[in-house]
Amino acid sequence: MSRQTRVAYAFLAPGLLLFAVYRLYPLLEGLRLSFTNARLGRASEQWIGLANYTRLLEDGRFHVSLWNTAFYTVASTLPILAVPLALALALNRGRLRTLLRSVFFFPFTLSVVTVGLAWLWLLDPVVGPFNYYLRGLGVPARSWLADPQTAMWTIILTTVWWVTGYYLVIYLAGLQDIPRDLYEAAALDGASAWRSFWTITLPLLRPVLLFVVVTHVIGSFQLFGQVFVLTGGGPGDATRTVVQHLYEAAFQNFFQFGAASAMAWVLFAVILVFSMLQFRLLRGHTEY
Amino acid sequence: MPRIARPVDRSGVALTVALLALAVLWLSPIAWVVVTSLKPAPDIIRLPPEWIPWPPTGAHYHEVLLGSSRTARIGRAFANSLVVALGSVVLVLATSAMAAYPLARMRFPGRNLVFVLLVGSLMIPNAVLLVPQYVLTQRLGWLSTYQGLIVPEAALLFAFGVFLLRQFFVTMPRELEDAARIDGAGPWQVFSRIIIPLSQPVLAALAIFAFRSAWNDFLWPLIAVNKPEMFPLPVALALLRSAYSAESYGPIMAGAALSALPLLVVFVVANRRIVEGVRLSGLKG
Repeated sequence: MSRQTRVAYAFLAPGLLLFAVYRLYPLLEGLRLSFTNARLGRASEQWIGLANYTRLLEDGRFHVSLWNTAFYTVASTLPILAVPLALALALNRGRLRTLLRSVFFFPFTLSVVTVGLAWLWLLDPVVGPFNYYLRGLGVPARSWLADPQTAMWTIILTTVWWVTGYYLVIYLAGLQDIPRDLYEAAALDGASAWRSFWTITLPLLRPVLLFVVVTHVIGSFQLFGQVFVLTGGGPGDATRTVVQHLYEAAFQNFFQFGAASAMAWVLFAVILVFSMLQFRLLRGHTEY
Repeated sequence: MPRIARPVDRSGVALTVALLALAVLWLSPIAWVVVTSLKPAPDIIRLPPEWIPWPPTGAHYHEVLLGSSRTARIGRAFANSLVVALGSVVLVLATSAMAAYPLARMRFPGRNLVFVLLVGSLMIPNAVLLVPQYVLTQRLGWLSTYQGLIVPEAALLFAFGVFLLRQFFVTMPRELEDAARIDGAGPWQVFSRIIIPLSQPVLAALAIFAFRSAWNDFLWPLIAVNKPEMFPLPVALALLRSAYSAESYGPIMAGAALSALPLLVVFVVANRRIVEGVRLSGLKG
């Protein structure tokens, strides 16, 4: 081994140790556990093949949570793409960009619990200000989080409020990378702002859009905190998610580590498939 | 070339006004939290909503910080979160800066493999590792300890940190290193005396990113900590909610406001660093 190689690995060693122990090993250990009947406190676990996976096929609540998670992911994708983008376009044109950017970014610095508690109070069906002002607009008061029709949409609303600032900053950076003269040339050719948006901004923003969608989807499939604080998965199982189901299987009821690991790997597979699909859909060359 | 005087951009002004109105609306949930936390209990649920808490009271803050009767003590949780967040910042910065240096500036066998492995790991959803990570932490005897929170948090951000710092290290001019080497400096001196001091902006961005991530993490500490005195803030807050009846919004909102405080300070002081960090995380990711 050359001296440089030894030096290089000496620098890498602490980080790689951390990475191997707390990232790589758990990944493989999780896969192994998913084929066993491991439980908290069970001294010797047994290899049970695909039993955990086949049992998931019959687990109605798992299906419901998978469906809810997928619904949340799909339903929230458009607002997560569009709201920050609209804001970024507006901020890019108007004044006070730095100030406004900071304001919209601020919720993103809060923890999911803080966000959840704030909205829980705002949305309080009896004494919360949200319903009070809606009544003023003629919308009857209701418990948005206790109604299966609206609970998931309310979670989407709070999430959009929470993360918009993050994507806004990313969009703003993307917009600034688009050469100005393209717009000037288009304006000289008589293109409207709307047309410029569709023919210049959107195509050139494609890598950014791809990043936003993939990041959002990976995050969405792991939805947990908002649900934990706002609805607890209810009403009924209307907002129950996969990670919540996994959390309860592993850490609340019976501590079924094997079964929960199988859920984790099903989730992983679903996320991979979704991400691949999006890469396919949004990939393509960006030409200037 | 003479420029044609532009007419006042009326639509631009209208847009800015509309955005300002939206910004006020956007901040109103946070304002409501703070307002509530400063109101005497009977005023909190009064309708129509009162947006000026007058006269303000510090009673709710006093209760959550110093009251000892409740299961979740926010004062202690605040300190726990601080230890965990700062600990993981230090660990992430040290490990990822050291790892990024050879990946950016040295040639050695296995370099590409290591890098691909790290970048690939960014795609692993965190929730997938939850159970095995718990089993591992339990075997190490680290449940309900600071290291049981700090080390996994640092491991989570390590790959991202390497990625971010490597991008930056690669752009440094080679002459700097060469000059130091001619003067007899070894790799460690080059790293600690040249690379690190020149990377302060990106290190600051990573530090803030890591602080935010560790300060706000909820799911892992919810699982890995079962002693109330070791709860970090998000867990303590979530349980504070169930400890009080639904109507006692005052103490809960005081806790929520306190949890937002450190990042608010960082945010005001280092706004540009945060934005820069997010930008780097996104566009290069």
